[in-house]
Amino acid sequence: MLSPASKSLRDEQLVFKGLKQGLTLFIPEKDSFLHWLEVLDRQLNQARGFFQGGTILVELGARKLAPGEMAGLKRVLAKYRMRIKAFNPLEIKRFDSSSPEQPSVPCGVLLVKQTVRSGQRLEHEGDLVVKGDLNPGGEIVATGDIIVLGALRGIAHAGARGNRQAEIVAFTLAPVQLRIAHLISRAPEERKGRQGPVVASIKGEKIVVERL
Amino acid sequence: MAGRVIVVTSGKGGVGKTTTVANIGTGLALRHKKVVMIDADIGLRNLDVVMGLENRIVYDLVDVAEKTCRSVSKALIKDKRLSNLFLLPAAQTRNKDALTPEQMIAIVDELKDDFDYILIDCPAGIEGGFQNAVAAASEAIVITTPEISAVRDADRIIGLLQEKEIYDPVLVLNRLRPEMVRKGDMMDVDDINDILAIKLLGIVPDDEEIIISTNKGEPAVLNAHSKAGEAFRNVVRRMEGEEVPFMSVDGEPGLFGRFLKILQGK
Repeated sequence: MLSPASKSLRDEQLVFKGLKQGLTLFIPEKDSFLHWLEVLDRQLNQARGFFQGGTILVELGARKLAPGEMAGLKRVLAKYRMRIKAFNPLEIKRFDSSSPEQPSVPCGVLLVKQTVRSGQRLEHEGDLVVKGDLNPGGEIVATGDIIVLGALRGIAHAGARGNRQAEIVAFTLAPVQLRIAHLISRAPEERKGRQGPVVASIKGEKIVVERL
Repeated sequence: MAGRVIVVTSGKGGVGKTTTVANIGTGLALRHKKVVMIDADIGLRNLDVVMGLENRIVYDLVDVAEKTCRSVSKALIKDKRLSNLFLLPAAQTRNKDALTPEQMIAIVDELKDDFDYILIDCPAGIEGGFQNAVAAASEAIVITTPEISAVRDADRIIGLLQEKEIYDPVLVLNRLRPEMVRKGDMMDVDDINDILAIKLLGIVPDDEEIIISTNKGEPAVLNAHSKAGEAFRNVVRRMEGEEVPFMSVDGEPGLFGRFLKILQGK
């Protein structure tokens, strides 16, 4: 998945590319950053008007920027009225469940030994086990299965990349929402949740909760 | 000696942070501890009013941070009643940006060696003011009331405290109304513990005396007849490591109630 980036970064020239995430500037890992800033300035100057006034992503690969280098990059871009939206878009793990099933990279199981509280969000490529509760206002997202060894009271999204076989298991289930692949379900408005252990999975076109 | 630095916080406003700081501070001082209370609610200061010390303020927290006054001790206000209780008031004419977490840490470091307890009254919210108040603390007391919104905010705060490496906050459940809990109209201690799952430091019943004592500028903990005062005295004893049983949620009948029960043969 990282191949286009690594290729561009090994190339010895500055490249602008249109990725799914947006227009991305690839700065090669070789040579000094200052050198590339000069090249960037020259290129933008030549292409005057073409890139002007937009936001871009910047892919740096393994390069780490010093604060001064960061400021330099921003200064050059600002000259052409451009702003940085984000860095290293190829590493950004925003799951997009609307896209068709992608071959998911199995990253194994992540065990989280704490309660996920309001305002906290956990994301994982693979299966996710929470040894604790998922409280209202908290969110957990996994590309595989989700298991909560406690009370699930927040939002859980299993199979986030579109895996319809994914399941959500909890000891007590009283969620704000359950999501599996592209389906979303709301808990019935009963006060007490289901005492578990219970499992939620897709049956037909619906999320169904059953005793485990 | 290095004192304990404890922030009192809640996320939601109006649940009783300032009242709790005033009462715990006074309660600890009654036990001959040397205590300083820092009001970190810059721009909306209240602690001085609740303590009845408003008219003695000369310098404030921002003056100390900006070195307008020569040392922290210059800005400390001694309590009217207890000579080992001090207040470092917030600035009223500034806002939360007037202070940085680094300045807060420096101020607390200067006070640490002279006091047994440093209590920090945190502003509501999770923005800059919260960050400042929490920066110097190593312990936290989270306040909530038995309302779903306050509990939700407390949960958020516990998560944020974890990020600040304060892992074992304790809970004060404020304004519980036993008769409502009995009727099933109010969340009870178990409901709240179910979600927050942190150690309980105290349960403070709803008490009209609190409003009277706040308006008088005299913490309820000084009032032997106030139920809330009693609860705060218990909180203080627990902070000092004593094992004190919790008030029964069924509501403790007062002396008259107990007398009545005996008469009725119950």
